[in-house]
Amino acid sequence: MQGLAIDVAAWASPWRHRSPGDKVLLAFGLVLCALLLPAWPGTLIVAVVSIALTVGPAGVPGRVLAAAAGGPLGFILLGALSIAVTRGSGGVLGFTVTSQTLTAAVQTAGHAIAGSASVFLLATTTPISDLLGWARRHGLPDVVLDLAGLIYRLLFVLLATTGEIRAAQTARLGYASRRATMRSAAMLTAAVLTRAWSRARRLEEGLAGRGLDGPLRVLDDEHPSSPRFVAASVGLLAAVTATSFAVSLLPAALRQAGLG
Amino acid sequence: MHIAEGFLPPLQATAWTLAAAPFVVHGARAVAKEARERPESRLLLGASGAFTFALSAIKLPSVTGSSSHPTGTGLGAVLFRPPVMALMGCIVLLFQALLLAHGGLTTLGANTFSMAIVGPWVGYGAYRLTLALRAPFSVAVFAAMMLSDWSTYLTTAVQLGLAHPDPTGGALASTIRFLGVFAVTQIPIAIAEGLLGVLVFRLLGKIAPNELRSLGLDRALPPTPQEPAPAGSRI
Repeated sequence: MQGLAIDVAAWASPWRHRSPGDKVLLAFGLVLCALLLPAWPGTLIVAVVSIALTVGPAGVPGRVLAAAAGGPLGFILLGALSIAVTRGSGGVLGFTVTSQTLTAAVQTAGHAIAGSASVFLLATTTPISDLLGWARRHGLPDVVLDLAGLIYRLLFVLLATTGEIRAAQTARLGYASRRATMRSAAMLTAAVLTRAWSRARRLEEGLAGRGLDGPLRVLDDEHPSSPRFVAASVGLLAAVTATSFAVSLLPAALRQAGLG
Repeated sequence: MHIAEGFLPPLQATAWTLAAAPFVVHGARAVAKEARERPESRLLLGASGAFTFALSAIKLPSVTGSSSHPTGTGLGAVLFRPPVMALMGCIVLLFQALLLAHGGLTTLGANTFSMAIVGPWVGYGAYRLTLALRAPFSVAVFAAMMLSDWSTYLTTAVQLGLAHPDPTGGALASTIRFLGVFAVTQIPIAIAEGLLGVLVFRLLGKIAPNELRSLGLDRALPPTPQEPAPAGSRI
């Protein structure tokens, strides 16, 4: 399952032991650069920097990145196509592509690809349990973090259960026809839901027996912030911003100087 | 249908986040109240959230030959009510963005608004309205599941249309175009999910009647067989 691949990469990454706050600063900074900088060349620079950091120092296998990119790329291409096409004469079935709509589509795709690459950097280097611990230290309410922590800790068990039941159904030709698929999907959904409830009930009984009556605190790994990493991140974000503006303003400056 | 990271302009991404925030905060308060009154419900809600995530591994057939997974928006609205779904949906969407690369961080507000707020509220409204019209429970579940999917998909198309208006027809023309592009897959998937919901509740009525009762869903239980009349009474 692809979701596990991203999570496994996050636990195995050499950046796993870096402070989640440091990584949020870098990745969210890149997300904002991808969104706010001019599409050319800002998004290209952000995408290259994010992917280079992910497969380079963060040590995430390229195949994990390639597999994870499939979903967002499909949406981005379909969405960009919808932006590129407009009503007009001279096209097919009353639709055409103008230079204005094509530019808008390419710019949007650029922002989206660069932004997605920046989110991958955070997702493939920081397990969610680390992010939840970091959020707890920054004052997010216990009720939200308890729910998020439970969802994170139970979802892998349920995904494995779903995969096992589906494999058993498939082996019994449970997905051989449309009708059988519908019946099997319903049985699978009901089975996974009742198993989730039964697991929750057993967990509750176990915790109640141990006297739990407050927030579900677990021991967090402490990952102290690194001033060098923070300084390098801020420097990198400044360099990305400066390079992007320099390249986008260069043609106008050259024209003004009579060199263009 | 998750809007990918970077697909919405910064101002609109912020506006959708602000629009979704009150519902998510309201959901957090509802969950906190529920946890105070019934501490055991925390684990039940956590397991239900994990179940919503696991739905992404269940395949549904689609008319176009492709397959998709159920969104669980309508199912969650009927089982847990829309306020809880706003918080649970927001968390699941964040996890889907980070673990499955579906959606994004700056688009989390917009995706939460369409999938965890509009979808559940429309689905729950359709469910209550259908029951109020004395329709069978199965019809109410089908309406909840199908309409929550369609309203989610309509909201997403409006969000994309507003973000990327057509140069000649404006936001309306571009919304219609986005609706057309996604209709091919979304309309049949919503119908399939409606049918799935009916089958799931039939099964749950048989195998998990106590859980359904505790969620106040007695109507989902199969009718108890009539006691045969004593032999003497027939005379």
